[in-house]
Amino acid sequence: MDIFLERLFDGVTNGAVYAIMAMALVVVFRGTGTINFAQGEMALFTTYIAWWLTVQGQPVWVAAIIASAVGFVLGAVTERTLIRPIRKRNDMATLIVALGLFTGFNALAGLIWNSENKNMPSLFPAGQDDYATVGGARLYFDALGVWLVVILLIGAVFFLFNRTRIGLHMRAVADNPESAALTGVKTGRILMLGWGLAGIIGSFAGVLIAPLSSQQLGLTTMFPILIYASAAALFGGLDSPVGAVVGGLAIGLLEAMITGYVDFVGGTLPQTAALVIIVFILLFKPTGLFGTRQMERL
Amino acid sequence: MSLLEVAGLTAGYGPARVLHGLDLTVEAGEVVVVLGANGAGKTTTMRALSGLIPHTGTIVFDGEPLDGLGPDAVVARGVSLVPQGRGTFSHLTVLDNLRVGAALRRDKAGIRDDIDRWCEVFPILAKRSKQEAGTLSGGEQQMLAVARALMSRPKLLLCDEPSLGLAPRIVSELFAILGDINREQGTALLLVEQNADLALDLASRVYLLEVGRVVAEGEAERFREDESIRRAYLGL
Repeated sequence: MDIFLERLFDGVTNGAVYAIMAMALVVVFRGTGTINFAQGEMALFTTYIAWWLTVQGQPVWVAAIIASAVGFVLGAVTERTLIRPIRKRNDMATLIVALGLFTGFNALAGLIWNSENKNMPSLFPAGQDDYATVGGARLYFDALGVWLVVILLIGAVFFLFNRTRIGLHMRAVADNPESAALTGVKTGRILMLGWGLAGIIGSFAGVLIAPLSSQQLGLTTMFPILIYASAAALFGGLDSPVGAVVGGLAIGLLEAMITGYVDFVGGTLPQTAALVIIVFILLFKPTGLFGTRQMERL
Repeated sequence: MSLLEVAGLTAGYGPARVLHGLDLTVEAGEVVVVLGANGAGKTTTMRALSGLIPHTGTIVFDGEPLDGLGPDAVVARGVSLVPQGRGTFSHLTVLDNLRVGAALRRDKAGIRDDIDRWCEVFPILAKRSKQEAGTLSGGEQQMLAVARALMSRPKLLLCDEPSLGLAPRIVSELFAILGDINREQGTALLLVEQNADLALDLASRVYLLEVGRVVAEGEAERFREDESIRRAYLGL
């Protein structure tokens, strides 16, 4: 029972991070119509910045917040300078640019900070003894902290989308960009904000997951996260923030249970499992559980 | 000076020219209808006027040129388009659709008042206010599209084939309301239509479009009465 609970906690923790990463993908997809495959590597880059700031003696919370601000700028500038000029041509071009950014940001991080793994300090008490016992299982405080940050972040995104003017305009642009422009919404600015917002969310995903990751912060830390988050976003529906959350948790739990109880999957096969999930979703329910828009070009 | 003065308007899609030098005016508070068959360039005219596609020639509105402005800037000047096919935000509620219509306004109380007013004019919108627009019938969506366009308080409302795909009873209801809005608010209307009869009843002046040019224009009355014009151009 207690081992099951520990796996459950692990699953929820990882799933929470996949959920916010998936939400970053959803925010971009709703506006731009493509998956930003570079989202993970942009988050990697800002996580390195956060790590570097802590090495310079900044408190880890300050570092995380500065990193998320950099994430916003990185996302917004990318949209404005690289995505917008080529987006009008076709969706494939956007996808190719995203893939280019993927390798670009990864190489840049390697160039600046070399390929050695770094120890990213946790935002929360992360010692051996920082846990509470729940039903005989250990619930570590840093895992609990991740849940909390993710809940706050998701709450903030939903507030933004559903209770603010700018969120209303974002939903309008996602729904029908031409009509939004006809009512006076500056669609370009809204898309830029969307990419910036995704940059903030991604930064948090990176800062939260790196201390929990077995290899800490390395050049490949964010790649599996992006794969799981893509699976989560597809599972929930690429244009649905609710779907991203549900999908993220589902994938996290699935991963924890499969690696825990299915012996042959072991350490690296879960990513393959995630890919298998992606293929099945695309085959049988291309709009995902909560999605509405038919995906045509993926 | 007229409210809208269009001179030598050419526009199209990529290399394909659809409009070949169109001249057209709308006076303040006037109702003008542009009639024409499929492919005459009616929708292209509307898209060029609202800034959705680039054009050459001049468009002067309220004494200021609109040339080179995007759709968000054009609506800020007071020209609002009800696009063909309605273009409602199908996953947003009716109420949110109306709120987006006021994207350029900051007067919260005024926006609320306007939402109330259009919900009174179109009672179906009040009834469906919490429903997603995509669940509405075609006629209801057309009403919503008109109300949304009016939320920006335009001086000139452009309507691209508002009768398309609607039952005749709904069309006459819609045209009656458009007439009321024109009389009560003084909003000028520029409609493009294939449905000549109802549009002619509403309009004071008519332009007849053929392959991207105006081939006839005049008082709506003359178009209603003159048998030869009706036969030659309107197929009635």
